[in-house]
Amino acid sequence: MISISSDVHVTVAGALVALLIAGLVGATLWWMLHPPESYVMRIAAAAERNLERIVGSLIVAFSPEIDSAHVMALAAKLARGERSELLALYVIEVPYTLPPDAEMSVEERSALDALGAAETIANKNNVAIRTETIKARSTKQAVLDVAKREKANLIILGSYREGKYSGAPLGRVIEEIAADAKCDVLIGVEGKHGTLLVDESAQSTSQEA
Amino acid sequence: MAPGSKSAEPELRRSVTPWGSFSWGYSDVGADIFVGLGLVLAWAAGASNVAFLFAGVVYVCIGLAYTELAATYPVAGGGQYFVMRGLGDIFGFIAGWAVLLDFTIDVTLFAWTSVDYTSQLVPALTNSVHPWLHFGVVLGLVVGLCLLNVIGVRESTTFNGVVSALDVISETCILCFGFLFAFRPQLLVHTMQIHWPSSYDLMLGTSLAIISFVGLESISQAAQETQRPASIIPRTSVALILTILIFALAYSNLALGLHPWHPIADAHGHPQQFWQIFPNNPDNQGKAVALLAAQVPFYGAFAALYVPVLGAVLLLISSNSGVFGSSRIAYAMSASNLLPSLFARVDRRYRTPVISIVFFSVIAVVELIFAAAPALFPAVSSLYARFFHGENGLDFLADLYAFGAATSYSFVFLGLIGLRLTDPLSPRKFKIPLNLPMRFRGERVEFPLVAVIGFIGIFSILMFTLFTHPLGRIFGPTWLVLGLLFYLVYRRYRRLPVLRSQPRDWRNAQTEILRRAGELELMDEYVANVKASDARRAGQGT
Repeated sequence: MISISSDVHVTVAGALVALLIAGLVGATLWWMLHPPESYVMRIAAAAERNLERIVGSLIVAFSPEIDSAHVMALAAKLARGERSELLALYVIEVPYTLPPDAEMSVEERSALDALGAAETIANKNNVAIRTETIKARSTKQAVLDVAKREKANLIILGSYREGKYSGAPLGRVIEEIAADAKCDVLIGVEGKHGTLLVDESAQSTSQEA
Repeated sequence: MAPGSKSAEPELRRSVTPWGSFSWGYSDVGADIFVGLGLVLAWAAGASNVAFLFAGVVYVCIGLAYTELAATYPVAGGGQYFVMRGLGDIFGFIAGWAVLLDFTIDVTLFAWTSVDYTSQLVPALTNSVHPWLHFGVVLGLVVGLCLLNVIGVRESTTFNGVVSALDVISETCILCFGFLFAFRPQLLVHTMQIHWPSSYDLMLGTSLAIISFVGLESISQAAQETQRPASIIPRTSVALILTILIFALAYSNLALGLHPWHPIADAHGHPQQFWQIFPNNPDNQGKAVALLAAQVPFYGAFAALYVPVLGAVLLLISSNSGVFGSSRIAYAMSASNLLPSLFARVDRRYRTPVISIVFFSVIAVVELIFAAAPALFPAVSSLYARFFHGENGLDFLADLYAFGAATSYSFVFLGLIGLRLTDPLSPRKFKIPLNLPMRFRGERVEFPLVAVIGFIGIFSILMFTLFTHPLGRIFGPTWLVLGLLFYLVYRRYRRLPVLRSQPRDWRNAQTEILRRAGELELMDEYVANVKASDARRAGQGT
């Protein structure tokens, strides 16, 4: 026991307990504040890192033919700066051989991934976001209808997916939307050395797991 | 609009971060020790640390149960939802109704102690000195919080987070400096040997110790707004459980082994130990942490100034969580047809559930009147002394708080067991340890042994409460019986199953819950589990 004054004494047991309390509380809180990253968080982190190479808008459109994940982070930054509302829209094109409300589980699952990543990015940027999935006969018409309904100033489109090239340089759907839209359209086309933020191989590995 | 399109549905934004989730829980549970410490020291005396240890073990079991359930079912609704899903509608109602009792008590109890802590700096607010003034200020706080919630003003998550951070740092400093400069191990041993309480007082103290651990409900209530709830909630819950347990055990041991910085004397001038200032002194019981902090050498000079303020603010936040928590629970119960839709009605002007907020605030005021009546009217005081062992004020509120908590927690354990048996397909990112593998209705399930241990613990605390609290054993069961009668009449009126549960599609509901929570990997796992189970059953059928 160490005497500091007539009334104050430091004991070994007391000092050890004090150290234990400080250590336990500190370690517990540190552990709590460092959770492991999820798949969508990794996508979001990649989007943040590649921010300078992407563009964004108020309605960000996705579809199986239009990959807009790489422009989502910039759209979020823009929306925050402009205090705008942000809508992430996923359009599933239903072939005429199927009824309009046909179940398309693969496409619906892709929609959830795309919109989940979009929401994560928006949350990290502290921007309010709404997400919406639409089934339609025509992707172009669906995007234009929603843009009209939302009175959008800007539609953001990514690039067409590989293998969907149909004669139009930017992709048929993207060019049609750009041609017929009643508002501004930004198209984020990846250059020769561009990289998609949604890593296709990682995504398929995750889904298989 | 394109054909086949869905309209955009606004959903709750998942904006609560790990610290936000922790502070939601901490602003509720963290305030409990400010109330519980003095009460437990007053009754459990030299065994206060044992009372906290017993209640703490039960609390760890409760915490683990809530952690598993909130991570598996991240929905707003908390305990009543888990019980309703695991055991059925009527049990869900009982659990929810008990939680509602707790929330209304929470409003009054914490507003009361918030004023007690303020009285450390403003002596005029001391209950025994100016009971009418004390009553008026508490009433003003309750009414004020009600109005703030009606018009939709609520403390922000940031404010909660800052106050919680300050309090965690403050309590850690009090305890570290206290153990370093004022703790005498020999005094602790001596106090435990000489001042060990009677069995009755130990039971009473233990039943009061559980109130230091009430509020985990808040984390599960915020589950729907928490980012990645299945990953974050287990961490924030476990961190909250550990932090609160460390504080409760450390405070009780420090209080029993504390060598006061300034000598304490009784009315006759005889020196007293620190814990001896609490028995038969409700004024001191209501501000125990501030009194302890002031007795810590050196740091106490500073702590004596800010701890009463910090305590009062934290307690007021906790009181406020009772106001909006009760309306939130009532909203969730109403959505499940356990309460009339009146409680879910949102006011057009303020966009808040005004009826629900006002209804439960009125109940909180009634409880305040019952608690304060003996101090205000001498005739009532003799009535309480004759029929209720003189329990009043803080004791009255603490009794009911312990009763409500013990009842709802008992059902949560049963709900957990029920869900493990009936819903083994839901992926559990956090699972309570110590499980017994078995088969139930053709599915492999894991029976949670910790839930059984926890149930025995909390049920014994419920029995202690009923046995040792004359007021608690009358008003608590009365609340439940009245609620149950109301439920039966309502269900019959709505032509819903009265004693059985309403049919629900839990499989689709679970997929939707996980989708809304953003736990897409878990949603995939759940869908795969369901498909595999169906295929297995189809194979067995053929």
